[in-house]
Amino acid sequence: MKLEEIRIKIDKIDRELLVLLQERMGLALRTKKFKESVSDPAREADLLARAERMALDLVERSFTRHLLKTIIDESKRLQQEERPLVAFQGEHGAYGEVAARRLVPGGAYIPCLEFVDVFRGVEEGEFDLGVVPVENSLEGAVTQVNDLLTDTKLKVVGEAKVPVNHCLLATDVRDYRDLRQVFSHPQALAQCRGFLARNRLEPRPYYDTAGAAKMLARENPRAAGAIASALCAELYDLEIVKEGIEDGPSNTTRFLLLARDMYDGRGDKTSVVFATRHEAGRLFEVLRLFADAKINLTRIASMPLRRDPDNYCFFLDFEGDENDEKAAEVLSQMEKLTITLKKLGSYPANGGIG
Amino acid sequence: MKNLKLTSISQVQKTAVKIGGVTMGQGFCAIAGPCSIESQSQMMETAEAVKKAGADMLRGGAFKPRSSPYSFQGLGLEGLKILARAGRETGLPVITEVIDPRDVSWVAEFADVLQIGTRNMQNFSLLKEVGKAGRPVLLKRGMYSTLEEWLNCAEYILSEGNPDVILCERGIRTFERYTRNTLDLSAVPAMRALTHLPIIVDPTHSTGRPELVAPMSLAALAAGADGIMVEVHRRPQEALCDADQALTPEQFAGIMAKIRPMQEFLAGISKEKNRKASSIG
Repeated sequence: MKLEEIRIKIDKIDRELLVLLQERMGLALRTKKFKESVSDPAREADLLARAERMALDLVERSFTRHLLKTIIDESKRLQQEERPLVAFQGEHGAYGEVAARRLVPGGAYIPCLEFVDVFRGVEEGEFDLGVVPVENSLEGAVTQVNDLLTDTKLKVVGEAKVPVNHCLLATDVRDYRDLRQVFSHPQALAQCRGFLARNRLEPRPYYDTAGAAKMLARENPRAAGAIASALCAELYDLEIVKEGIEDGPSNTTRFLLLARDMYDGRGDKTSVVFATRHEAGRLFEVLRLFADAKINLTRIASMPLRRDPDNYCFFLDFEGDENDEKAAEVLSQMEKLTITLKKLGSYPANGGIG
Repeated sequence: MKNLKLTSISQVQKTAVKIGGVTMGQGFCAIAGPCSIESQSQMMETAEAVKKAGADMLRGGAFKPRSSPYSFQGLGLEGLKILARAGRETGLPVITEVIDPRDVSWVAEFADVLQIGTRNMQNFSLLKEVGKAGRPVLLKRGMYSTLEEWLNCAEYILSEGNPDVILCERGIRTFERYTRNTLDLSAVPAMRALTHLPIIVDPTHSTGRPELVAPMSLAALAAGADGIMVEVHRRPQEALCDADQALTPEQFAGIMAKIRPMQEFLAGISKEKNRKASSIG
């Protein structure tokens, strides 16, 4: 092996070590919910004993003990920081994490495999908050999430509109001419079809945009790049070849912030879900209440009820707090016109962005 | 001239190339900026200064075809990103040189206009590639080339399906050593008679002397050129490339202050001529 090749391998391992440490710290923070106190001497001793159990001749015992002790101390320090645990779906660097960072600065962002894990995790107290996408300006409603919203006890306490900014990432931008294949989620690849065709890049489907970036950083396949968020470049030490490579006008995803308790201030936006009886004019009567009260609606979407396939429920967002005089009156009238009415909560509208 | 199927004047009306809010081939277009993109701050500062002075487009080199392999070769892709950002922030379209056929599609992702330099005028594989890039191309005259050779090179680009070619006279090699090259201003009216393509003048590389840039810019306008391309650096003495020929933003502003009234004056003359012509008729 040449010096340069050896160094590429060393860089890859360093990157991987740090990505794994980030994951380890996230897991350590999650243990807090199960423990009386941050310190657990028996567990600590067991972790440090790994130095004796594993006989690695180049990683000597004294060094291993020292390294593990440093990691344990840092994870205890993090556990004492009172960072809220914010769950999102996807790998680190997913657009959900971009939204979570904007909604809850200074949180600990915990990746979850599925949307349902975000909901259940917050409901059961494993996480403090959850961030889920409800709709995209190009693709429409995220049905899985809307479905979970109809059932959940959680409250909406915030929203963020995140512009989807697809970036072409590579381990070294100087090699851009050698790029041949690009990994990403099929939807992201489809949104960048023109860019890929112009530059003769072969799209390679992957389960997740951030997952593709993570794979690129860890495995560095030959002549490969990934399409993912700019945040992924920071998290995985990748370089941005080009930002904003999507073909169409840039699209925006709206995320909701979920918590077990209601937002404690006055919100300027409210979300509700309701269902009406299958009778002529029922939905119209509900909407008329808002029109008569001069309350502006910001979203209305219908969705088939999974439990009852012939019936629909409606998602409705309006401006103002549910306790505002006019809104409270409309909502109490609505109780009489609907078969179910669930107030998801009032919250501050997306702060000026998007 | 033989074999000029697409560039010759008999083909179409004068070509107007639309680049963002600028139309090359109508009025007089001033392109300005540094020889090389050196840093974010150098590019931004220069870009803002030339915009204020009245430039219509921004230039900057990311890939430099240097006479010596040991000279600064340009920032490459990093430079393209800096240039694109300067263009976005000032609202000016950007033009940059491409020297390698493998880079054409990538440069086209960042730049509004692709430039083919004098040394690459007859690089036919590069010409074919920019003919397919879907971006306007500025084709500089080869420093040893005749007008016919130059037009044949434009023909290469047009024949690949790209109608948006702008010619740029940048001086030719003669026995004269006082100036870097000899600016062949007669090429401007000559090309007007031969082709429908817009033609601009580069008074910087042709003279290599900053004090000659202003008079040659005005002469270009008088000769009927569609624009000029001038090298401007925030601090010319610090430039990493061609430091002795770039103008300061103030010098460039001085030229623009003369160009705009002269342009109006010339437009007035041609209007007067048309009025007389129609009143006689």
